[in-house]
Amino acid sequence: MIQKISVPISVALVFNHKTRETKPVNVLWEGRSYRVTRIGLHHTVRQGRTLLHVFSVESELLFFRLVLNTESLSWTVEEIADGESN
Amino acid sequence: MHVDLNSCFASVEQQANPKLRGKPVAVAAYSTPSGCIIAPSVEAKECGVAVGMRVREGKVLCPGLIILTPDPAKYRNIHVQFRQLLTEYTDRITPKSIDEFVLDLEGYPAFSKGMMSVAGEIKRRIKKEIGEWLRVSVGIGPNRFLAKTAAGLHKPDGLDVIEKDNVEKVYGDLPLMKLCGIKANNVARLNHYDMFTTLDFYRAPMWKLKSAFASIVGYYWYLRLRGWEIDDVEFGRGSFGNSYALPDTRSTPEELSPLLMKLVEKAGSRMRKDGYRAKGIHLSLLYRNGCHWHRGMTVTEHLFDSRDIYKAAYRILCMSPYITPVANLAVSCFSLEKSLYTQQHLFSDMGKKENLIKAVDAINDKWGDFVITPGRMMGLSEKIVDRIAFGNIKELEAMILAPY
Repeated sequence: MIQKISVPISVALVFNHKTRETKPVNVLWEGRSYRVTRIGLHHTVRQGRTLLHVFSVESELLFFRLVLNTESLSWTVEEIADGESN
Repeated sequence: MHVDLNSCFASVEQQANPKLRGKPVAVAAYSTPSGCIIAPSVEAKECGVAVGMRVREGKVLCPGLIILTPDPAKYRNIHVQFRQLLTEYTDRITPKSIDEFVLDLEGYPAFSKGMMSVAGEIKRRIKKEIGEWLRVSVGIGPNRFLAKTAAGLHKPDGLDVIEKDNVEKVYGDLPLMKLCGIKANNVARLNHYDMFTTLDFYRAPMWKLKSAFASIVGYYWYLRLRGWEIDDVEFGRGSFGNSYALPDTRSTPEELSPLLMKLVEKAGSRMRKDGYRAKGIHLSLLYRNGCHWHRGMTVTEHLFDSRDIYKAAYRILCMSPYITPVANLAVSCFSLEKSLYTQQHLFSDMGKKENLIKAVDAINDKWGDFVITPGRMMGLSEKIVDRIAFGNIKELEAMILAPY
């Protein structure tokens, strides 16, 4: 099931200065912690002058579309899916 | 070399969401049962799902079909990444659409490695650097047409060459309709002149092709089929247009006017961003009963203000003789001219008007599209979403060349 939402979410982001990689490693959603196992895609989009970083990430159970607003430095989850059709 | 990303939108969605990989996925204009499927994944294609089908038809063929709506920003980002990777091999690179590129490698260091070797390297690098689920078909040929034909021979993940030694064999296995640019009407023309297979088409003398097409197009086909390059043509910008498929029933000009305003605002804003103004407005209406009505109009001076474009478009809309539910509304601006100067009027201050429009555009650019919206668009905020045009990527080009 694919659920489109737009609510704040807690995300742990890690930057590795050796590999120059920045990636979300953990997501706290509805009181439960989900370890990010894979990043499917990272892309950027502009909303006016605000740059948004979109991380499409997978945990063992769920898929999350996480959006980092670089203006407010806040995270929003825009989509949650389990890989099944609606 | 022709590089084609297989099942582009669906593959990108599967790349983004690993839980969708290996499953039948289709990207549709709308997720409703009557929404049009624009990109089925490889797995969905294996079930018989094809571009142009309705969502309900796709779900009949493939009950587990996962329907997604388009996410243009994602696809544009992938396009830009592809382009960045391919420009490491040559700067003679032509994007033909969001998922297709043509590369001319002749004279570049990569050419000395051999085309097959470069193609293999590009395929490997795409998987490693852009996305492991993205597969491309690569075709190599002496001209664009044969390279594209080669890219279509083995999908997905193909790598084929068409050259003088195998061209007859390839044509022998290809039906006429599979050739890019040949569809039912052209097949009828060719059949009329006793050309029933691609080999008949290839072996036909020039006079026969000229007669079949009744124009210079026959000569072009004669060259194209033999590997001469005649498609290396850059077309300039001819118009700016936007269209919208209506999900609800609207019939009268009054009901359609807010949608028309939004279409005009989008087309006008894009046109101004590229530094053009237009002297012609065209409106096209496709009705739910299958009727189609369209009309174009030229005005006495070049228009740049969306409100003026709207007035001309609304005038055309009122000329339509039909008052019946509309299925698709399209508006375009043509007869374009670069905005080098503004013709001043005796009784109105055009400079002031131009500055006002520039200020509104600047605010919308800074804070997001439609932060300032015309009153006529009230209640329309969610309608007419961002879309990627088939084939046309001129604005994407502008975005790449002039990043933020």
